[in-house]
Amino acid sequence: MGKVKIKKKETRIDMTAMSDVTVLLLTFFMLTSTFLQKEPVQVITPPSVSEEKVPVANLLSVLVSPEGKVYLEVLGSQDSTDNKKYGSENVRAHMLQYMAEHYNALHPGANISFTPEELATFSKCNAFGVPITRMKEWLRLPTDQRDKALEAGPGIPIDMNEDPNKPNEFQQWVQAAYNSIDEELRDAVVKGSGISIKADQTTPYSVVNVVMDNLQTIKMNKFTLMTALKTEEE
Amino acid sequence: MAIKSKSRQKKFDTRIDFTPMVDMNMLLITFFMLCTTMIKSQTLQIALPSNEKVENELKNKVKESEAITIIIDGEIDEKTGLAKPEEGMLYYYDGKPETSNLINGESNMKQAEFGSKQGAYDAIRGILQERNKEVVLKVNDLKKKWKDMGFSNNEEKNDSIFQAERKKVMNDSTLKRPVVIIKATPHASYANVVSVLDEMQINNINRYQIDRINEVDSAMMIMVKKKNLEK
Repeated sequence: MGKVKIKKKETRIDMTAMSDVTVLLLTFFMLTSTFLQKEPVQVITPPSVSEEKVPVANLLSVLVSPEGKVYLEVLGSQDSTDNKKYGSENVRAHMLQYMAEHYNALHPGANISFTPEELATFSKCNAFGVPITRMKEWLRLPTDQRDKALEAGPGIPIDMNEDPNKPNEFQQWVQAAYNSIDEELRDAVVKGSGISIKADQTTPYSVVNVVMDNLQTIKMNKFTLMTALKTEEE
Repeated sequence: MAIKSKSRQKKFDTRIDFTPMVDMNMLLITFFMLCTTMIKSQTLQIALPSNEKVENELKNKVKESEAITIIIDGEIDEKTGLAKPEEGMLYYYDGKPETSNLINGESNMKQAEFGSKQGAYDAIRGILQERNKEVVLKVNDLKKKWKDMGFSNNEEKNDSIFQAERKKVMNDSTLKRPVVIIKATPHASYANVVSVLDEMQINNINRYQIDRINEVDSAMMIMVKKKNLEK
């Protein structure tokens, strides 16, 4: 009798419970993960003890490459479909329109306008940085070539400009964010938490200084610098 | 034959083997775990003085006894055009620049080291701590209380009260607090500038500003460099 019982005993382990657990974990990671956004230049931010986190919404980040090329990334308030005013995509489309109008106003002879399709394409771009005169051309490129064109391109035109009445293109973009239709982004930019400079630690100060001076000229004296975490040594 | 097949059907296991499923799930979990950005970047808040003239005049009224000017210099790699953070140099002087005997290489400018480690020169952390002694002592007391949950049993409340108290001490005008003016040469690396801004945070200094370097500063710096080389 005893012999028969031992023979019938199952040696395989039931994997159902294990599978349940892994599926649960998988769901958790899928829902919580935010993928790293692709950036035109890779930068290693310098360490600092500051513990303030980078906001996930309402942020205009100025990406500065070591050579001095400037790119912008815009995040509106958390994306919502029911409201036309808010969300990254609406903000970007509005910014481009604002930019075209104000560029034309400042440069007599320039006649830049964008079709709704172009605005829609632009609103899907997380990072951008081409002169406004070449924006149409850039938006016509297929998605995969757009990133390469950004890397190879000159970035947003920026120079030492101390006349707030004649802003350069970079300053106009910042003003576009300042006057964006998204009130939350506008508030964040005014308060200073909405503008962040992201530069590599090996970047010469003169390069970062150009960006800071440009912001200062258009009276944006408050902004943040993006840094990596470092623990305070006592 | 018929009997045989019947017995076989009875033995057929209806349970599905979940091992491959688990394998696949584990793989996917690993993928998502590696792809997520768990560590978020930090931000450092700064406020530049407005570049209007009225403010500039006010700026100059900073009490000389309280002012300390820090100058950050660095080196640029000729090949890549990038600054080298590990080659950064730091200079400082108290109050106004003393240039009466600059021709002989004498001024009140001194060299310093980044961070807290004493090297050939004094470390900047110690220098700033010394000048902000009154505030640092008070904040350290607060910190002790904060660590023992002295403000509140609730962790969040404890944090927020501590931060508010710390801010109050840092803004207390009855204490002796320095005004730090940070200047950087074009050769300085961004990392070095951020590390000096960081020292403000560490030493609880809330009165500081970033300014442009002028001829007097660079002349003094050249003399200090020369003197250090002679040593």
